Order: sequence, then C-alpha cells, then structure tokens
Amino acid sequence: MSTSPKDAVGSRKRSDWLKHVFILGIILIELFPLYMMLQISLKDNASFIQNPWLPQPPYAVTEHFRDPAVGTDSQLLTRLRTATWTEVFGGVTAPRDDPDFVSATTHFTLSVYRVENWRVGFKTILPAIANTIFIAATGTAVSMALAILGAYFFARYRMPFSGVLWAAFMLLMLMPGVANIVPLFTLLKDMNLLNTLAAIILVGIAGGQVFNIFVLRNFIEDLPKDLFEAAEMDGASHLQQIWTVVIPLSMPIIGTLSILAFLGKWNEFLLPLIVLRDQELFPLGVKLIYLDGEYVKQWGPIMAAYFIASMPLIVIFLFCMRLFVRGLSAGAVKG
Amino acid sequence: MALPLSRQKALREWKLYFFILPSLLFVAVFSYFPAGSAIYHSFFDWQGGDNKELIGFANFKRILGDPVLWSAFGTVSVLIVFNLFKMIPSIMLAVLIHRLKSDRAQYGYRTLLVVPMIVPGLVTLFIWKFFFDPNLGILNNLFDVTGLKTLLVHLDQFFGWNVFFASAPIGWLSQPDLILPALFLWGFPWIGAVGVLIYLAGLQSIGQEVYEAADLDGVGPFQKFIYIELPLILTQVRLTLVLLIIGTLKDYGLQLLLLGEAGGPGGRGMVPGLWMYNRAFIAGEFGYACAVGMVLFVFILSLTYVNNKYVRVEK
Repeated sequence: MSTSPKDAVGSRKRSDWLKHVFILGIILIELFPLYMMLQISLKDNASFIQNPWLPQPPYAVTEHFRDPAVGTDSQLLTRLRTATWTEVFGGVTAPRDDPDFVSATTHFTLSVYRVENWRVGFKTILPAIANTIFIAATGTAVSMALAILGAYFFARYRMPFSGVLWAAFMLLMLMPGVANIVPLFTLLKDMNLLNTLAAIILVGIAGGQVFNIFVLRNFIEDLPKDLFEAAEMDGASHLQQIWTVVIPLSMPIIGTLSILAFLGKWNEFLLPLIVLRDQELFPLGVKLIYLDGEYVKQWGPIMAAYFIASMPLIVIFLFCMRLFVRGLSAGAVKG
Repeated sequence: MALPLSRQKALREWKLYFFILPSLLFVAVFSYFPAGSAIYHSFFDWQGGDNKELIGFANFKRILGDPVLWSAFGTVSVLIVFNLFKMIPSIMLAVLIHRLKSDRAQYGYRTLLVVPMIVPGLVTLFIWKFFFDPNLGILNNLFDVTGLKTLLVHLDQFFGWNVFFASAPIGWLSQPDLILPALFLWGFPWIGAVGVLIYLAGLQSIGQEVYEAADLDGVGPFQKFIYIELPLILTQVRLTLVLLIIGTLKDYGLQLLLLGEAGGPGGRGMVPGLWMYNRAFIAGEFGYACAVGMVLFVFILSLTYVNNKYVRVEK
C-alpha cells in the first residue's frame, strides 16, 4: 500500500489507529444523547435515579422486611424493585439504616423494562406527529409545485418584467425574517387564521419559495434547450413541458429540496407556538415544549416520546441517505 | 440563460405570467407585507389592536436608552465568540477524517456523523436541558463522579465566585452567573455534521502532489494543517463563519425554550431577538417590538452585505 498515492495524505509511516480512536471518541460523545434517550425510555424515575448511566439489567430484586407493627419474622413484607448492576454481580447488601431488613434475592426478569413508557409516549406524541406530517407534507408539496412553476417562468424565456420580478424575489433572500414575526402574527389575526393549521402551512409555503425558485431556476436553465423545443414541436403546452421535461430531469434536485423543506418544517416551533392555542392542533415542536413544561416529569415516557418523534426522520434517512447528505450541504450553502 | 424573446412572442406567451403569480402572491402576502408592516409600525405606539398612535422616532429613541437591549447585544456578542470557538472541533474532525488512509473508513465516519442529525433539533435541545438539570441531570452527575465539582468548589473558594457550593447541586440554568458558561458547554463536543461535511468537501480538492511535496520537504502534521489544509478550506470556513454570526444574531429559540421569555434568572440569557419577542408577546408593546426588530434587521442586513461583498462562494 505504501506506493498508493492515498498514503501521501496522512503521514506515510505511522498507522492511523490514533486518529481512529480520536474520531470514534468524538462520534461516541455525539451519539451519547441518543443512547441516553433509548436507555432512559425503558426505566421509571426510581430506577433511573438509582442507575442513571447504564441500561437497566434484566434483573429484579425481591426484598423481605419485618413488619414493624408485628415485629416477628413470621409475617414478612415483600418489596419488588429493579436491580442495579452491582447487585446483579455482587449480590444484594442490606440497606444500611433499616433494621427490619431480612433478606433479598435477585432474579432474572424482563418485566423491569418499562414497555408501557413507550405506549404512553406513543399516545402523547402520535397526534402531534400526525399534525406535523400533515403540515410538512402539504406545505412541502404545494411549495415545491409553486416553486417549479415559478422557476420555469424565470428559466424558460426572458419575459418582460422578469428581471424586476427576479430582483424582487432575491431581495427577500437578503431579508432576515426576524423582524417579520410580530406583523405576521397580526396579519394572521386579521385573516382569522389564528389557531388554525392553515396559518402554519401558508406561511411555510411562502417561506420556502425564494430559495427553492433560486435553486430550481439555475437547474432548469442548465437543461438542454433542445428538449423543450422538441416538446414544443410536438405541441406540448408549458404545463406539459414541465410535466414531461422539467420534472423527470430535475428529480434529484427536487428530492433534495423537498427533504430540506420537510426537515425545516419538522423542526419548526416558533410560529406554531405563537399562533396555535388548541392542544389537538399542536405540531411536534409545540407538543415537546408542553411536555417539557410539565411540573413533575416522568422521564421514561418523555424520552420514549422524544425517540418516537425522531423516528419518521430515521425512516426518511434510511431511504434517502444520499439526498439527505447532499441536502445538508446544500442547505449550508444557502445563507 | 433563459432565452430572450421578441415582444410579439412574449405577448403570445402571456399565460406564462400565471406560473409566477401564485409564488408572487404568497411571497407578497406573507413576506413582503409583514416586512413593510414592521417598518411602518415601528413609528407607532401600537398594542397590536386597532388603536395606534404615530409617535415618530420615539421608539428608536427609547431603543437608544434601553439597557436591556444593549446588554442583550453584549450577550449575543459573547455567544458569537463562543460559537466561533465551537467551529474548531468541526474543522479538526474534518481534517482528521480527511487524513485517514482508508476510503472506506472515511465514508463510514461520514455516515456515522450524520446519524445524530436525524434527531430533531428540539429533541436535542430538550435532552441537553435535561443534562443540565441540577438534581437528575447527567452533567452534575458527571461532575460529581469525576471530582470536577470538588475542583470547581475549591476554585470558587479561592477566587470568591460564589457560584459553586459543595452542599448544593450546580444550578446551571438557575444561577445567573452560570448561564453563559452553560451556554458555552451546550452541545459539547460541538461537532456540526453539516460543517464537517462542507469542510470535507473542501479538503477533497487538495491534490495528492501537494501532500507529496510537503512530505519531501519534511513538513510536520501541524504545519501541514496551517500551510496546506487551512488555506484550502478557508472559503468554507469564511462562509460558515458569516452564516454562524448571522444565525447567532438572529436566533432566539434556544434562549426562549431553555431560559424562558425573560432570558432566565437575572435576564443573563437575554438576546435581542428574545427581547423583541418579549416586548411583543409578553408586554404587548408591538410597535416597540417592531422597532427592535428593525434595529436587529439593520445589523443582520449589514452583515449579509459584508457576506455577499467579501465572501465569494464558487458553486
């Protein structure tokens, strides 16, 4: 291998194991929140406090106590609790300050895993996920459709006023949306759209237009002109040209942009937080905020809910890994 | 480029305008109108209702003397410095991955890097908030186990910070003096998968002969970074730098969810965006909030201008 040009990148003689250790270490820390999420989701608060770091061992402890009211060993109170790792390997020791303790045994059981956390998590978060999928899917689809039409307008011919319109769109790209949120709220109030999902969807559609049109226009302009001319010869209308030429050829970029748009809407929380009041309308973001705001928290179900909230993205990630990675880089160049 | 058209052909193609109309309508109603409305209302005393009173530049005069807003700008400057520092690990990781000999390993690590990205941002935020919890939180647990807390308590007694106490858990988000350090620790080890991927893309353009020449000259690994890798990813670094500054200046979601509308105890986590939100939706001073938004907007716009003028991105 020493003759391969690749070797010149690193230092030639030393091996890479130190780098691997370092990179793996960093990636493990990065994955740590995911790990915590998963392992806490199977615990209740008591066993989490008792053993915060490691997954629950599949053992339970049965403890026997003297009943203080009776005072003899004839009638014992039993208590069942989850075991810690030291108890699994080192045996159970008596609680230091409890004179009534008699004996304890550990035994193997899978019932220490709180599967019902996941059931509770599902029940809490599922309506919110449904809302979010509805918002994100509708918003993304409409937004992409409009953006394709708009990009086609800019890319196909240089129409009168298209320069002015283009400038008007690009100006928005420079404009940060930060000052908008206050007037947007009153606008939605005037349109009677407060507390509706339509408000979130409509604003979302508008927000994605500029960037999508910008990217799509460049892409469509690079398509071979002959294809459009051939289609026109065959009597295809503009809509038909979009359907038969533009969309099939720009599928990769449309996919990438759609994923970006979908991700953006999945993570959105500020506008819904301001606009929505009814619990059943809450998308994921607002729902998570409300979960976090509860006074006494059961961490198990909450972590399960967090994990469930990530699952649709995991599915998308598995199926469109390549688009995903490209989309992330494109999104970073966006500005 | 789009084909130029004669006037007659353009007239015949008038239907094409319907293609741009929906986008235009959306953008006009939901982007341009609010923006214009924000400028307009920044000159009014406005509670969000129908009654408003033109007060000229009074809102802006009030901004000049608003101590909360200016300390918020101070806070956000500190956060920007933090975030600039937090770019370093991503660059280092990208260089490390790039220097690996095996292509398979490089690809594997790239994929592994993207995995945490599938967790929605809000979930990451809340998990970190949970890490910071004084009683149950992982961070305090870790500090106890490793003895870092004892060290901090000793340092505290030595310097007289009055922040860390042996008897009480560390209140990361409840001690005013700890809010900025907590925001610094936030997101450790500060790897942005997007950043790493961009840097890697930049590093890929470095030719092998550059490294070979460096090897012949006996250049060490650190010098290789300074003289070969850093100059070649400087475009990407500059780009992320500007985007990062603008993003930090603009965002207030983190502070809102982590510390609440008032910016946490003592308002130490207050940033300009959050102050705007606070004035509008907590105090009901919509006109003043619009003015704050305008000031923030001017800051961001000038940064965007600098970005477009001096940072060229070759696509």
